Amino acid sequence: METMRKKAIGLTAALVIIGFGAAAMSLFYWQIVRGEDMRTAAMDQSLRSTTLPAMRGSIYDATGTKVLAQSASVWTVVLEPYFIAGDEEARRTIASGLAPILGLNEEELYEKTGKKDSYYEVIKRKIETETRDAVNQFLVDNEIDSGVRLIDDYKRYYPYGRVAANILGFTGLDGNGLEGLELYYDDELSGTPGRMVSARNGWNLDMPFEKEQMVPAENGNDLVLTIDETVQSILKKYLAEGIEKYEVKNGAVAIMMDVKTGGIIGLSVSPDYDPNDPFTVLDEKMLSDIEALPEEEQDEAYSAALNLQWRNKAVADTYIPGSVFKMCVGSMGLEEGLITEDSMWMCTGGVHFEGMKDPIKCWKHGGHGSTTFREGLCNSCNPWFMHIGDLLGAETFSKYREAFGFTEKTGIDLPGESYSIYHSVEGLGPVELACEAFGQNFTITPVQMITASCAIANGGYLVRPHVVDRIVDPEGNIVKTADTSYRRQVISEKTAATITDILQQNSESGTANGGYVMGYRVCGKTGTSEKVDKHNEDRTKPMEYIASYCGFAPAEDPQYALLVFFDEPGGEDVENSSFTGGNKVAGPIFSKIMEEVLPYLGVDAQYTQDEYDQLDLVSPSVVGKTLEEAYKQLGDMGLTCQVIGSDWDTSITVTQQIPESGANVPKGGMVVLYTEGFDEEGTLVEVPDLIDYDLANATYMATIHGLQVSVRGVSEGTVSLQSIDPGQKVKLGTVITLTFAENINTDGHAPELDE
Amino acid sequence: MAAGSRTARGLRRVPQSGPPRERPGEEGPKKKTRGRRIRQRFQVFSLGQGLDMPLFVFIMVLLAVGLVMLFSASYADSYYRQGDSYYYIKRQGVYALIGVAAMLAISTFDYHHYHKFVLPVAGVTILMLLAVVLFGRVLGIEEIAPSEGVAVRWLNIFGIQFQPSEIAKFAVILIFAHLISLYAGKMHTFRYGVVPFLGVLGLFGLLIFLEHHMSGTLIILLIGGAMMFVGGTRPRWFILGISLLGAALVCYLLFGGSYQIDRVVGWRDPFNAPEGVDTYQTRQSLYAIGSGGFLGLGLGQSRQKYLYLPAPQNDFIFAIICEELGMVGALVIMVLFGVLIWRGMYVSLKAKDRFGMMLGLGITFQVGIQAVLNICVVTNTIPNTGISLPFFSSGGTALLILLGEMGILLNISRSASVEKT
Repeated sequence: METMRKKAIGLTAALVIIGFGAAAMSLFYWQIVRGEDMRTAAMDQSLRSTTLPAMRGSIYDATGTKVLAQSASVWTVVLEPYFIAGDEEARRTIASGLAPILGLNEEELYEKTGKKDSYYEVIKRKIETETRDAVNQFLVDNEIDSGVRLIDDYKRYYPYGRVAANILGFTGLDGNGLEGLELYYDDELSGTPGRMVSARNGWNLDMPFEKEQMVPAENGNDLVLTIDETVQSILKKYLAEGIEKYEVKNGAVAIMMDVKTGGIIGLSVSPDYDPNDPFTVLDEKMLSDIEALPEEEQDEAYSAALNLQWRNKAVADTYIPGSVFKMCVGSMGLEEGLITEDSMWMCTGGVHFEGMKDPIKCWKHGGHGSTTFREGLCNSCNPWFMHIGDLLGAETFSKYREAFGFTEKTGIDLPGESYSIYHSVEGLGPVELACEAFGQNFTITPVQMITASCAIANGGYLVRPHVVDRIVDPEGNIVKTADTSYRRQVISEKTAATITDILQQNSESGTANGGYVMGYRVCGKTGTSEKVDKHNEDRTKPMEYIASYCGFAPAEDPQYALLVFFDEPGGEDVENSSFTGGNKVAGPIFSKIMEEVLPYLGVDAQYTQDEYDQLDLVSPSVVGKTLEEAYKQLGDMGLTCQVIGSDWDTSITVTQQIPESGANVPKGGMVVLYTEGFDEEGTLVEVPDLIDYDLANATYMATIHGLQVSVRGVSEGTVSLQSIDPGQKVKLGTVITLTFAENINTDGHAPELDE
Repeated sequence: MAAGSRTARGLRRVPQSGPPRERPGEEGPKKKTRGRRIRQRFQVFSLGQGLDMPLFVFIMVLLAVGLVMLFSASYADSYYRQGDSYYYIKRQGVYALIGVAAMLAISTFDYHHYHKFVLPVAGVTILMLLAVVLFGRVLGIEEIAPSEGVAVRWLNIFGIQFQPSEIAKFAVILIFAHLISLYAGKMHTFRYGVVPFLGVLGLFGLLIFLEHHMSGTLIILLIGGAMMFVGGTRPRWFILGISLLGAALVCYLLFGGSYQIDRVVGWRDPFNAPEGVDTYQTRQSLYAIGSGGFLGLGLGQSRQKYLYLPAPQNDFIFAIICEELGMVGALVIMVLFGVLIWRGMYVSLKAKDRFGMMLGLGITFQVGIQAVLNICVVTNTIPNTGISLPFFSSGGTALLILLGEMGILLNISRSASVEKT
């Protein structure tokens, strides 16, 4: 018995000590040594962290009421195959049920449900409320509580479509800004996503007794722009008109800026796109070019075209400013006291430089003769400005060039601003200086040019161009406002006033008269830059031009500056086109934009007597009245009339009138009255081609066709634009609006730019 | 052997039968025994009379802690799977009440009567084991012998579901205790000390093995082996037996295909288990244990019981204990088992005869082996095999049998010469 006891004690001791000892060591290892690992792993499998997307801020126009970009709730459908991979029936149910709702391939969906190691398989992004409801209904009907999840998301909408596309930009699939303001202000707009950490049990259901921990998302801030949607639409409308009329081949830019704050009120570029569908090329010419390519090159060409249409030409591209730059060079001369507006200089049609075979010519090959500086600027005389350049010298010229902001980025709040390309002080030899002095042989961005013109318009102060006026948080508090302080004073107010005065004269009777706006004192300067470097690349092709017009209004107290430029106007046959010059191409568009925008912006028209006389009357409504009443009413207004149809009795009722009620009719013009029984066909006439006629001839031509003319702006020179295209059939008495502008290529041939 | 004439109830029969006969050398001086029995006269009707209080207290403490932990571990799982958070604890609670009552009743039943039960118990057990094999393996009648995977462990008769292997463990203990007391003095011989035992073990082991109930087979062998060792079988036979079993194991591993090797690899590193080796339960168990850390997440705070750890109320309940009560709690539970085992052994060693001693030791070994193996499995100290934790794991009949065995142990304590307070 004693040995049995010993054995029993030994055995029990061995069992307990060895067994529990080993277990205790294991415990120590797994609980203490590896405890943290195990805890983390256990947490990982039971905690689900869900990102709560922040709602992206909206973008408003300057009125604060028009939404240019906003986000709306959508959902992303996600599979959690881990929980269903082993359940054949559930996989099949989900695949066959969701595929038709989401428009997916059932077999592919079924494959995805079998990825047993995955917790997260996106199967469809950005579904809208209806689809979401259908998915939820399906899940409820089939009692699926695990394996399929809907994640909150947002989709971006741009209610005004293409209107401000290149300013706004667009967002990617995950809501991040890819272009434009969406990119530049991505941090402000995107907000801070929240997080929800929830504990799940082994069946992926919420743990019943544990609260979810949530860090709510902070929605993004809103942007209020200086861009006014109305102005923007006007810019866009006329830019499109100009591109079509003048057969512009390489896009166009129109920028309107508040000269005192630097706020950009409108910025329209072409080509553009629809931010709601940014991956579709809209430009028909680009599309047809792509289709003409061999199949394998089309993809590349398409993405190149996409990049082109996403570009903001006003900021990301540089151009040769041409004669527009002369307003700055003139300011430099005046400011330095080297010239006065009455200084004289002799233009012989060209300036000869040492080492060059040919002289650098003035656009007027015969020369302008001896003129004052005022005349020289209005004539856009190249030798005058080469002379100023010579007077200034490279150093002073560079100093002012820098002061006007041509050598640095403007800091505009849009992505991808380009650097300008110019000669350094050392590189500015006599020839280079002469060329730069009349705006050739260096490139700047359109935004730099308009900012410099603002400095002349506002009395000499260089402003900061910007697109965003203020940033507003979701509660409506202003977080940040645009810096509207001046960067520096470039020229004195006196100099600025002198140049302003000359430019006003220029737009009325100088080489920039295409931009004249009736009722407003507009200051303007044309530019017709030669694309020399492109020409040098391929001499077989004709020289292409950039036709630009830059100006501001009203002259008494300049408030708004506008730069319009068309890249490569004149169609395929440039050499024989009469639409290449800044005055003839960009001028009328400048004029039309100003005429429509200024009243909207609250700048009232003030007509001079001459202008008043020229001003059209508004056609009264005489339809429904008797002929007798109509005769009297029109007679009182000084209008004549012609009756078509029965007119034997003055009590006959007028059934139609041309011009229609509310339309323009020239002073002393005619209203055609229609009565019962007129011949519809017989009253239609074909519009004649009035382009290149002077006013007298154009009026004559119109009259013999039974039409009337009305003049927009100055009536000197020849017709550059008629409101109704030749060949169209219109009713007798229709008023055709004519625009007069000369096509002057106000730039001399300049030597090649070496960078 | 005149064991039948003795009773653990002691004094009730003393006036009629006079002083009990004694086997010399087994008990203390007559005078001392008499003195103690006189004291007991005043506790005739008490159930606690003669009970070993420490043992009783340890049993009740373990049972109470076991029930609390069972509720904590099971309520989430049973909520989701049974639709009732109280599903397991209600059943276990009822069985515990019945079990405690049975334990106390059995503790008043003189263990010497069990000599008479050896053959019936052995016979019935073998019949039941055969029934499992017959209905489960041969006929495949799920209603009577439901299968779980490859194993068929349960028998479903008369509306009661139980594992005959649980009864078999007791049967082996009983048979071995009987044989050892019968062959006292001849245990060193091969004929008496090895053959009959090997025969019994072989028969029961084979039947349970046929159930594909590996852990049951293992436990039966361990219990039997331990009892033989204590009973006096020569160590050389153990060396031989262990060598043979070891060789068989090595052969099994070597020729059982790479899958067996993979299982070993999977056991050593459950987080990088080879393809085809499912270590999910082990991994979840270790997550639970690790999550507990030193002090635990607190009672009821386990995350792993939320459908991550399979059957947390059963074989892996100890993982939930580790998670909720930490290393400290787990060690306390181990200490509780340790003292229970120690006290069980102590009481058994003080039993008045060989039969009582071996019966008590067998029961103690069973509890000890199961507790140690279960905890070692849960902590991945040994490879995963289905062993439940006594007093803790859910399972009504198993608990009933366990408490019944505790009753026997307590009965042995009544007549044992132990200081029982």
